[in-house]
Amino acid sequence: MSSFGFGLITAAVLAIATVGFTMQFAVTNVLNLAYGSIMINSAYVTYWVNTHGASIWLAMFAGVACGAVVSWFLNRFIYTPFQHKNLIPITLVIVSLGVNLIGTFGLQAIVGGSFVAYKMSQGHEFHILGMLLSGVQLIIFAICAVVLISIHWLLKYTRLGKAMRATSANRNLARNSGVKTQFIISMTWIISGALCGLAGTVFAMNSGVFEATSAEPYIVLLLAAMFLGGPGEPYGAMFGALTIGLATEISAAYIAADYKEVIAFLVLLGMLAFRPFGLFGSEKAL
Amino acid sequence: MLGPKYEVACLAATQEIDKLGGVLGHQINCKTVDTRGDPADAVPAVRQMYATTPNLGFVIGCTSDEASTVVPIFGANNTVSFCMTGESEFDAVKFPYFFRLVPPDAADAVAMVAIAQNKGFKKIALAFGNDAGSQTFVQPAIDGIAKVSGMSVVSNVTLDISATSFQTEAQSIVSAHPDAIMMEALGAAGVALLSEIYQLNGNKMIPVIGTSAMIDPTFFSGVTAAIPTATFIANFDADNAVASSATPAYPLFKKLVLAQSGKVRGVGNFSTLLSANGTVHLYDGVNIAALAMVMSKSTKGAKYKNDILKIANGVPGATVVTSYAQGLAALKAHKKIRYEGVGGLYNFDAFHTSFGAFEDAQYTASGGTASVGTLSASQLSGL
Amino acid sequence: MWFYITTILVYGAVDALACLGLNMQFGVAGISNFGFIIFQAAGAYTAAVLSMPPAATSNGGFQQYILGWNLPWPLPWIGAALVGGLIALPFVFLVGKRLRGDFAAVGLLVSAVLLNLLATNYIPFLNGAAGISIVPAPLQSIFDSQGLGYQLAYGGVAILLTIFVYFLLRRITESPYGRSLRAMRDNDVVADSLGKNLRGQRTSILVLGGMVAGLSGGILVGFISLWAPGAWGYAETIVLFAAIIIGGAGNHKGAILGAILVPLGFEEITRFLPPFGSPSLVPALEWVAIGLLIILFLWFRPTGVIPEKRRILSAIVGRAPAVAATGEADASKDNIGAIDDFNFRSVLNTTPVANDHRVILSTQGLTKTFSGVTVVSDVSIAVQQGRLTGMIGPNGAGKSTMMALLAGTLPATSGQIFYDGRDITRVASYKRAQEGLVRTFQLASEFKKLTVLENLVCAIPRQSGDSFLGSLRGRRFWGEQDKNNIERAEEILEGFGLSQYADLYAGGLSGGQRRLVEIMRALLAEPKVLLLDEPMAGVHPNLARKIGNHLTKLVADGMTIVMVEHELSIMDEFCDPVIVLADGKVLAQGTMGELRANSDVVEAYLVG
Repeated sequence: MSSFGFGLITAAVLAIATVGFTMQFAVTNVLNLAYGSIMINSAYVTYWVNTHGASIWLAMFAGVACGAVVSWFLNRFIYTPFQHKNLIPITLVIVSLGVNLIGTFGLQAIVGGSFVAYKMSQGHEFHILGMLLSGVQLIIFAICAVVLISIHWLLKYTRLGKAMRATSANRNLARNSGVKTQFIISMTWIISGALCGLAGTVFAMNSGVFEATSAEPYIVLLLAAMFLGGPGEPYGAMFGALTIGLATEISAAYIAADYKEVIAFLVLLGMLAFRPFGLFGSEKAL
Repeated sequence: MLGPKYEVACLAATQEIDKLGGVLGHQINCKTVDTRGDPADAVPAVRQMYATTPNLGFVIGCTSDEASTVVPIFGANNTVSFCMTGESEFDAVKFPYFFRLVPPDAADAVAMVAIAQNKGFKKIALAFGNDAGSQTFVQPAIDGIAKVSGMSVVSNVTLDISATSFQTEAQSIVSAHPDAIMMEALGAAGVALLSEIYQLNGNKMIPVIGTSAMIDPTFFSGVTAAIPTATFIANFDADNAVASSATPAYPLFKKLVLAQSGKVRGVGNFSTLLSANGTVHLYDGVNIAALAMVMSKSTKGAKYKNDILKIANGVPGATVVTSYAQGLAALKAHKKIRYEGVGGLYNFDAFHTSFGAFEDAQYTASGGTASVGTLSASQLSGL
Repeated sequence: MWFYITTILVYGAVDALACLGLNMQFGVAGISNFGFIIFQAAGAYTAAVLSMPPAATSNGGFQQYILGWNLPWPLPWIGAALVGGLIALPFVFLVGKRLRGDFAAVGLLVSAVLLNLLATNYIPFLNGAAGISIVPAPLQSIFDSQGLGYQLAYGGVAILLTIFVYFLLRRITESPYGRSLRAMRDNDVVADSLGKNLRGQRTSILVLGGMVAGLSGGILVGFISLWAPGAWGYAETIVLFAAIIIGGAGNHKGAILGAILVPLGFEEITRFLPPFGSPSLVPALEWVAIGLLIILFLWFRPTGVIPEKRRILSAIVGRAPAVAATGEADASKDNIGAIDDFNFRSVLNTTPVANDHRVILSTQGLTKTFSGVTVVSDVSIAVQQGRLTGMIGPNGAGKSTMMALLAGTLPATSGQIFYDGRDITRVASYKRAQEGLVRTFQLASEFKKLTVLENLVCAIPRQSGDSFLGSLRGRRFWGEQDKNNIERAEEILEGFGLSQYADLYAGGLSGGQRRLVEIMRALLAEPKVLLLDEPMAGVHPNLARKIGNHLTKLVADGMTIVMVEHELSIMDEFCDPVIVLADGKVLAQGTMGELRANSDVVEAYLVG
């Protein structure tokens, strides 16, 4: 039962990250493999504000802002210009890997290789349904719930959200129907970037200590969760994150801890091989 | 080769040697070579070292990451090397130019069991990383535990050191209710595991017995960011090859190491190096090699390598010396010598490994280490 | 000093081999193999365990590994190449036809991480994280493997092998098969529609590149005597990609230059820097520099230092290379008048057949659904041999989807397709093309980085050099036929008045010219049934009419054509019958005259 609880925590962090990741893919059709490096950079911004006296919950907003600004910048000044250059499609993936190297190791060059941790209290412990959870973990759940409900509300009930969905379904059609697609894409990157920054901070909070390359392996979990739910599908991402989060922790408990992430790898490869459009999705028109 | 701990050892020893006129009239200089910890990168690094380093005396400090690839190259070039590796390869294959001042991992693991025995721990959890260096401890530890009556392994977890969270692993250890955890996990994994165990155990730490590699400033600063320093110190022991401040060689060593303050980057507090395994033993290694050169009147590895054995292991009637200066004077007086260093007496076996003695070390509040007891050879050999 | 030089030679050769293999996959065939390092690792492990004595008895038995066959050189190297190739086979499922290139790339990247994790964790297989050490050097029982002479010879053999591989890969790249590979790289869907077996091509190149990578691993492990998971992190592949992008993707010389500049040069030069900062600073900055170089090169010089060279085919048939127009092709020089006198029959190798107007292509209840939206709904049509059938309908009526279904570009959701009396619903599209069912595309579909002539020649079926084995047999085997094919392509190009563009990249032509190239290319594919999707869009009306006349002649000679077109005057003039689609259904069928009299059709399409 306890591994179920950890699975939920892993899933909560992963859900925040994957929703942002999949939204970026939805509107720009880019697999932003630099996502993990923006997460960890945001986590460090939170850390920096935190060590200068701000409480972690206040500092978190700085991390969120960092994620939003950096992501917007990345799309506006790197991905979009490259897309306009009309190179072969794989170019963007290679560019995102390059950005990932710069982001991760640039950070490492600045902060060095040592581990840091936030100044925060873990809070009381709670026994809920046989799961042992710390106060911080409950807050992470709450943040995750608020984020997912807000995203649901955004996509379903706001003009911006509807325009985002229209843009991701068919950008040209959306533009012809009067949607300011450039603006919508920028907004999407700001919102998803904020999620990325938030995910980086809660990720660092949850793992206790972190360093510049800590989020490097995280991209595999992100990709697995995204492909499970269907690339570009925010609701699918939530489902994928839940499944992958539970699967890794439960397999760690019942199979072997050092193979725990193998399940995520296998899910990802299986989805790519047999259902690249997700478990519930189907192929899109040409 | 790599790492500030090793570089300081070299600078400290050679400063004194050069002040005394060097070895056979040659000054000794230190040069660092970065192997990037990647076995494939190490070969060109070492070859480049040979190409750009005339009069190479000897090499110190290669670690488990690259030892297997570079030691044969040192052998082919008749270069004496002092390595800091516990790899079991070197218990099985003889390399004439290879010397190991630290015990192999198997002995290290036995020392951990001895600490547990002394502290009266019965139920032991094992938590080792899936990297090469850590995995070599597992089997010897299990074998050692089996020999102590009443002691048993209640949990054995292998950690994927690249994973990002270790909650389930931490939970499985906590729920096995061990008296102590034996562990080696480098990088974030060790820190994350301990901080999660601490949380899951109701903000109480389960005692931990680490390997000598867990005496590391980065690990200390990471873990004390997550666990209160006092709690951590009280519950953490590591086995460490003896580096006692009680040895006669220590005062000079201390003076020389502290004199390097600020000359090497990435160290932080230089006093932590006074008890660092690498600094202590490699300092001794440099002295032994220098004395062997003097004794054989040659800087050629092929000539002086046998004298290393004589000086370290001693021969009948040898005078014990505790510094390069003493040794130099004794050799000039045509006496046989045996070197007793900061790490005590050395004794190389047929594979050129010196097991030495072990101590039970704890961290101090500043991140240094202090010995809280030695482990007797008879206790160790019984395990 | 000399030992350092031999080390550089060996590492240079290993890196060059790796870059050559990856360049063949990525630069030539367009397979983004982000897991390339897997194949080098497989070769290295194979060479290690083949040359090692049995694990239990060797060196005190301190390591665990499989095999341990104690084989003499060169068997371990041969084994390394073979296993490097074989291990490529399971990855075909990722690079097979249907998966997006970037998804496949991610799959391969993740596979590299996964396999490294498994090799690390499962110790009995390849000794886990510690890796396999004390690997015997080749022939070390005969020679002193640490001697200078031996090491120089090792470097020499490694370089000779690199040169051999260079010429081998060049032989393949410059053959008709290489042309097909490059066509697949530029546009795989179109190459598929012209009869290129994508899965087959990708499999052979994945295996070939894997063999080269495996060999490089074998050479490396014999030299350094150890192989461990730490030596093949997934990031090593990124370094190789950086090398190829900087050196020049698609050009084997560029790949070698990239190998010298990036993996070799970068590593070696930083060794000579005085140490500064913390120990992790220099490696961190190295990665930042590699990331920056990748992005800067892709932005400012995506073709690399030595760009892929343009192949001047017209020189092969003894003509002066075409005038290289600069920038936008100059349409005023197009001599479209020549098309009137042009004799397709001779160029296309067609012998006229008598038209019997039997049903040659038909569908039965054909339906296509995307994400729950039905685009083609229960369509049953019959196309008669020797007729030019038109297909019209408003935007979104499902015309292009129909073409894609008929040609097999898209699989049908339900229903059946019959071609020449046979059910071909499940037949792969490249096979349909090989059997004479050829399509063109509504959107631009030229192979951008192939010249106009190459675009045309690569469509010609049954080329003896257009197979992996054929390409290996060299120019002597396929040269004569290829020359003949180029001549035919030249002729048709002249007929369309575009010979001055023969040796320019097709990507640089104007929209109308590209449509013409596409029509010519489809004709050279020797279709029995030709599916044209808006072939006249952007083509000058006069020229469109002339082309229409020629199509009529071809139909008279026995070809069957189905043409989607918006321009109703073209339909009026050339097509009979005409099928009207609306909302994915057949609305009506008949001559244009009949359709104009049909009120449904007029309402749905002709007016709206």
